[in-house]
Amino acid sequence: MKNSQIIRTIARKLFPFILLFGFYLTLHGHLSPGGGFQGGVVIGTGIILLGLAYGVRETEQRFKEKYLGILEKLAILSFIFLGLLGIFFGYSFLKNFLPLGQKGCLASAGFMIPLNLVISTKVAAGVTGIFYTLIKYRGEI
Amino acid sequence: MKKYYYIIILIIMAILVISSINLEYGHPENLDFVNYYFEHGIQDTGAINLVASVYLDYRAYDTLMETIILFMAVIAVLFFLGKGE
Amino acid sequence: MNPINISLIIFVIGLYGVIVKNNLIKKVIGLAIVNASVVLFFVAIGYREGGLAPILTEEVRASSSAILVNPLPQALMLTAIVVSISLTAVALAIVIKIYEKYKTLDVEKLSKE
Repeated sequence: MKNSQIIRTIARKLFPFILLFGFYLTLHGHLSPGGGFQGGVVIGTGIILLGLAYGVRETEQRFKEKYLGILEKLAILSFIFLGLLGIFFGYSFLKNFLPLGQKGCLASAGFMIPLNLVISTKVAAGVTGIFYTLIKYRGEI
Repeated sequence: MKKYYYIIILIIMAILVISSINLEYGHPENLDFVNYYFEHGIQDTGAINLVASVYLDYRAYDTLMETIILFMAVIAVLFFLGKGE
Repeated sequence: MNPINISLIIFVIGLYGVIVKNNLIKKVIGLAIVNASVVLFFVAIGYREGGLAPILTEEVRASSSAILVNPLPQALMLTAIVVSISLTAVALAIVIKIYEKYKTLDVEKLSKE
């Protein structure tokens, strides 16, 4: 089942802007409404749009499932590692020990930017993995 | 048999809507806990988004368990729908 | 008609879908509607009259009498939304396996097996 030419062209042209918007929501999580969860869902939706327009078999050759699994497990382990960094420096678990910076600048609130990035990759990989598994299933239907 | 289900649902809806008329919509009663976030939130964490300072600094432990819930969902879906083809 | 009353009406609509409908996929959709109504209820409880969003921009910091909305239920509802996503995904995976084994999705025919 092939989609029409309009859908394929528009999905391919819109995909970089969706990725850019997802990264903007993730990085400005401490200045405006947004954050890790919202940006991760937007990035996952961009990949799902490509999967619906071109077919799952072709999309999986570009965004392989093996690498998505490895990215997901690395994201959870680095969340725990960022929490243990607080113990290595003498404070408690998951304490905000980096310098706080100016209010309202992009480089403020020392610990929230790495946490937001880790959460967004975890959510994007999780949602895309669920989508691949639900569509690729070919039992006895 | 279906008529009994409809009547039960109408009774539940009437009870819920009638008992929520007295809830005050714009005037909560005591805000002693929340005033702490308004006064000390920006000098403890340095972020101007108060919602982000609540779920990433004051309660970051709940966010860690949150990501583990999503991980468990992916494992459960992979368990049911394993190698199809 | 506050948002609190409207969220209870949406809750009863979702509950109607879970109880009365016979198809399994319609029951799963009703479950997602119940989750959405709970999120709306919690966020509507923390409203203050004439309040702004809880983000301290420069105008809000300069004026000394600005009323801000309660930020605590909004941070708890992020977790509730993620729980709703994972519940719908696992329920749909179970429905696929049921259809593969019994070749039907009707609850009354399945209860005679």
